[in-house]
Order: sequence, then structure tokens, then C-alpha cells
Amino acid sequence: MANNPNIFDADKFIKQVLSGKRDSFRFLVREYGLLVRGYLSTRVYHLSDAEDLAQETFLVAFKKLPDYQLGTNFRAWLLSIAKFHLNNYWRKNRRRADIMEQFRHDIAAAIEPEMNLASDDVKTTQINKLLDCIAKLPERSRHLIRSGLNGVRLEILSDEMNLKPNAIYQLRYRAHQLLKDCINNTSEGIPL
Amino acid sequence: MSNLSRDPDFLDLLAAWHENKVTSPERRKELLVRLQGDPLLRQALADEIEMVGLTQSAQSGEPRWLELEEILQCTKDKNHSFESTLMNLVEKSKIRRAKSSKLVSVVWRSFAIAAVFALAFFNLYVLLKEDNTVAKIIRLEENGKITKAGQSLEAGESLHIENGLIEMAFRETGVHLVGTGPLEVSLTSNDTIFLKRGDIKLVVPPQGIGFVVNTLERKFTDLGTSFVVNASEKGSKVLVLDGEIAVKDKAGNPDQVMTEGSSATFDRNGTFSLRAVKDSGVHELKFSSNTLSDNSLSGKIFGIPQISSNQNNINKTYRFSRVDQKMLPLIRSQFTDLSSIKDMIQGSPLRFEGIAGTYNNFPTNNQLAPYSLKQGWLAWYSGKVKPPQKGRYRFWGYADNHLLVAINGKPVFEGSRSDSSFRHSINIKRNNHPSFPCLNAVAGFASGVWFAVGNKPVKIDLLFGESRMQATSGILLIEYQGQSYPTTYWGQPMWDLFLTEFPSKYRIKEFEKLRLQMEEKIMGSFSLNKKSVWKVISNSSY
Repeated sequence: MANNPNIFDADKFIKQVLSGKRDSFRFLVREYGLLVRGYLSTRVYHLSDAEDLAQETFLVAFKKLPDYQLGTNFRAWLLSIAKFHLNNYWRKNRRRADIMEQFRHDIAAAIEPEMNLASDDVKTTQINKLLDCIAKLPERSRHLIRSGLNGVRLEILSDEMNLKPNAIYQLRYRAHQLLKDCINNTSEGIPL
Repeated sequence: MSNLSRDPDFLDLLAAWHENKVTSPERRKELLVRLQGDPLLRQALADEIEMVGLTQSAQSGEPRWLELEEILQCTKDKNHSFESTLMNLVEKSKIRRAKSSKLVSVVWRSFAIAAVFALAFFNLYVLLKEDNTVAKIIRLEENGKITKAGQSLEAGESLHIENGLIEMAFRETGVHLVGTGPLEVSLTSNDTIFLKRGDIKLVVPPQGIGFVVNTLERKFTDLGTSFVVNASEKGSKVLVLDGEIAVKDKAGNPDQVMTEGSSATFDRNGTFSLRAVKDSGVHELKFSSNTLSDNSLSGKIFGIPQISSNQNNINKTYRFSRVDQKMLPLIRSQFTDLSSIKDMIQGSPLRFEGIAGTYNNFPTNNQLAPYSLKQGWLAWYSGKVKPPQKGRYRFWGYADNHLLVAINGKPVFEGSRSDSSFRHSINIKRNNHPSFPCLNAVAGFASGVWFAVGNKPVKIDLLFGESRMQATSGILLIEYQGQSYPTTYWGQPMWDLFLTEFPSKYRIKEFEKLRLQMEEKIMGSFSLNKKSVWKVISNSSY
């Protein structure tokens, strides 16, 4: 694995960190940061909460790095820490959850295996391609995808794009299908 | 996969997940049953949610993980001490020099120093290279072609595009910038840019507050907002889309704060024009009758009369004082010295109906005319009231611009905006709660001190108003110590709106609309509670 220069060798940097070169941990953060943030932000409604949990994940990973078994799956190990923090977050928030929040917990519980599967399917390289793929979306779809980043509410989008809420979900669904095709496509040509 | 994008269950589940739809208990049950029994639906929903999270994370700037940075920083320090290690080597070489021949010593020393500095510079280069990355291009579209997505940009780098657009995210601040060509912009640091030419729009998240856009004419500092800046040969323009920005000129004069909806142009000669601001964005309650009942707390609205420029005999202080400044002696005298307000004009008597929402038309609705818009207006409500039960209370709230409450003459709460005289000239203990966003306040809700009230009536004085122009908003809530309040999704307790009369059915509907709007748009909230209404004993104490 380590012989292929295109494949990130986590163990190499872990060894460096363990030998005292703590700064090498930045390479791990850089490589897996988006993966962990993505994993958490799919499960936590507020992006800022996801960012906090992601930092917690890396802090714990840094502290527990001597416990990690070299040669095993660092990505899976990291995501298991993220999952632990996520469970804590849910447990804490469940106490003050309103009815709809409770319903979201129920939905999350029902689709948890599928969510894990979806996360496992996503490769770091694919996430890194996302920005490219978003840039190549048709204007309307791109606007829709971007609006999620800015926290624009559905009602505002609905007015702005002159679309009914369901039509917005449909458009976004189609945009996501295009993005998936795009990030799965290994060639430079993007089938959009 | 079947086309689930048209499946109403799939769409309702997505709407519920994204908080856009409240569903009935029956519907929720129905959806969960379908979800549990339909693997295709589960997979489609999981995939969709996964993509939403991924696209958000990918587009946002790299987060600023201070805690992690701090831990890793320790190592950096160690690496920096590498330089001292090198200096030790140099020192050692000095010792060696004494033992070696002169020629060998010089060669060795030069070699050691060269190696040492080469190594030091290399190390420094690596560190600087890492630290200099300030932003990442999300999209660059020039001449109809999309290029450079994902490319990192370093401090000091300049961008020049003739046409098309560029979109980027700043690494540490999460600031999102979209610029259109022709554009010339330099990235000075991770929180400052210089715009020479072109249009840019910025969306600044909370961690990016303080982000600076410099132009030749002005320095625009973000105070938590979204705004557009244009720079051209003629000068620069700014339009505040949301929140506030501070504008500073190059002469070092005090910052001027611009709020949502306002725009200004600054030309190269130093002149500028500021356009009026639009509504603050929250609901304005409909004007209702001011007829007082025994249960109404009464009030008056004050303003400064308009003075024409040829009225030179008017005292200069009077001409330029804002209404809040003129109220200061009244507050300091525990609301007994009315001399400072006797020259002000008054509108029709007011009936207190709580403070919540937008008040742009409040002076006009209450016949305060003609008054000087530039000097603002203030409503003063006063009377003797009894709390619903004895105990300890505290006020919560915020106003753009002025909000102050005094009990028995003593101020117990000040929830004004930063540019209010109440904030700086009256010493009132105040706590800001930025985690509870409130109206357009960066500081969030403010809370006052706890104060105790027994069975005896107390005198209350309440000031609320605007410092200049018309964009006014405010909210005033009350908390009873020991009482638990429901919380919003964001964790803000829904304290009760401070009222001396419980509102009519019509008014309740209006408040409800306002509450929903606040929760959805600005994440603030409040409750209406009959049991928390304070009883008016006497409605005219001045």
C-alpha cells in the first residue's frame, strides 16, 4: 500500500507522531478532516456542532494514538471515535428535544445502518473531488447546493427560485445524483 | 433505484429532517412504519442526507480548531527551538575552532553555519508555507471555462480576473467570498483582503467576525453579516445584506456602523452618501388603539423638534444631542428630574403592550411629528406595578437602539445596542449571551441583575427607542427565579414577554406570528403567559 504514491499512508505519519514529531498529526487532520466533518455534519443538523464534534474527534485521536494498532484501518478507527462523540451529543440533546427533534432521532435510528454504509462507501478522494463537481453543476442546482452552506431556509429558497418546497427537494435530489456520478467518475470528463 | 424524488413519504421525511415541516403524530408514525419496512426508502434517505452533509462540509472553509491547534503548536515550538539547537551547534563549532587549525576552522564554521541556516530556512519555509494558506478556491470561471477548483491561496497572493467569477472560502474564518470580473483582489492575510477593482459578496459566519475588506477609500470590518463591496476608479460602494459592518475612513475617524439594508458610496475625494436602511427583518405588530384602561401601563413618546438650518439662535447642544443623551439626567435622578426633557416634543399617550418586534412606524403611528429623525425618539412608560408573585426576577432582551428598565428608580436592566448612551453613560451590570441570538444583535440577548420584589407595588420606568432614523426593533422578556421555561431547539429558554395586560386574541395571533418568525429566522423566541403578567396599580407616576 505504502508503495503507491497516490495512496495516503496514514501509518507513516502515525509513526512519526508516536516518535515525537507531533506536527505530523496535521497531515492526518488534513487527509481525514473533511471525511470526519462530512460524517458528522450528515448526522448533526448544525454545521457548527459538527465542526466542534470533529475537533473533539481529532483531539481524542491524538491523545489515544498510542492505542491505535498500526496496520489496521485508521479511517475506521477515527470514525469510531467520531461515532462515540456523536452518540454522546445525541444523548445530551435528546433530553431537551422537542417533538420534531425526537422524530429526527427516530429517523436517524431507523436509517443508521444505511447511513454507516453510505459513509463507508465514500472515499476521501471522492470527497476531495466534490468541490470540482459542484462547480460543474448547472447554475440552478449549484445555487441550491450552495444555499445549504449559507443556511438559507427553504421558504426563502422557495421564493427566490420560484419553486415549491417539494420541487426544491426534487431538484436537490437530482443534483446529488449528478454529484455522485461525478465523484465516482475517475476520468476528468464529468457527466453533467 | 426507483424515482423516490417524487415519493411524498420521501419528501416529507426530508422536510422533517431539515426542519421545514411539522407533521402530525399520525403522519410521523406512518412515516416511521414505512421507513422501517422499506429498505429502498431507507437507503435513498441515508444517501440524500449523506450528500447534504458532505456538500456542506466540502464547501465550508477549513475550520479553526483552536484547541487542537494549541496542542500541536507545542510541537511547533519544539521545532522552533531547532533554531536554538543550531545556535548551539554554532557555539560548539566555536569550541572546535579553538582546537583546529585556522583554515579548517573557517571552512568548518562556514559549512556549519551554511548548513545550519539552510536547515533553518528550510524548516521556516515549510512552516510558513503551511501557515500562509489562507483560502481555497471553490470555483473559478473565466472565459466560460471552469478552472482551479480546490486550489489553495496564500497570504499576499493577488487575483486578477477579467471576466467570469471566483468563489472561495477562507480557511480559518470560514468566510465565503464570491467575486465577479473584472476583479483585482489581494489576500492580505487570513482575515483581511484588499479590493482594488470589482464586486465581491461576502458571507461571514460567527467565527469570521472582524473580517476586513480594504479599499482605497475605506476599511470595512464585518460584525457578523453578509455584505457586498464594489471598488472602481470612482470610489467604493457597500451594501449590507444582513447584520452589521463597521466602516472606517483612512483619516482614522471613529467607525461608522452600517446595518442590514443600508448602502453607501465613498468617492475618491472623501465624500460619501449613506442611503436609508430598510426594515430590520422581523415582524412589526399592527398599530392598536392607545386607549388606556386601569390595567394599562401608560407612556409617552419623545423626540427633538426639527430645526431648520437658519434657526441660529437654537442652542448647539440641543441641536446635536440625541434623544437618549437628553434622557441621561432623568435616569440619573431616578426619574424625578424632568428638566432635561421639557423642551422635547411628545406624541400621543402610549399604552404599554409589551416590546417585541419591529417598531419602524412607531413614532408616526403615535403622532410624533415633526421630529428630528436624526436625533431619534424614546418611549417612556411608567407606573406602579405588582408582580404576579413575590420573588426574584430579571429582565432579558435587546433593542436597536435603546432599552432600559428601572425598578423604584434604580436601573436593573439595560439591553441597548452598542451605540446607545445608556450602554456607556449609565453604569448598569449587564450580561451578554451571544449563544442566544436576538434580533440583529451580535451580542445576543442581554440579561440584567436579579431583583427582589415583595407584595408591595413597585414603581417601574421603562425606556425604549431609536437613536437615529427609523430601523428600530426590540424585545423585553422577564424571568422568575426558580421557574423552568421551555427551550427552543437551539436551547434558548423561552422567557415570558414582559406584559402588564394579557393581549387580545387578535394580538396573540400577531405575537405568535412574530415568535415563529423569530424562531425560524433569527433563532430567538419568547412565551406569552397569563400567569406572568404584572398588575398595574397606578398608571401615571410622572
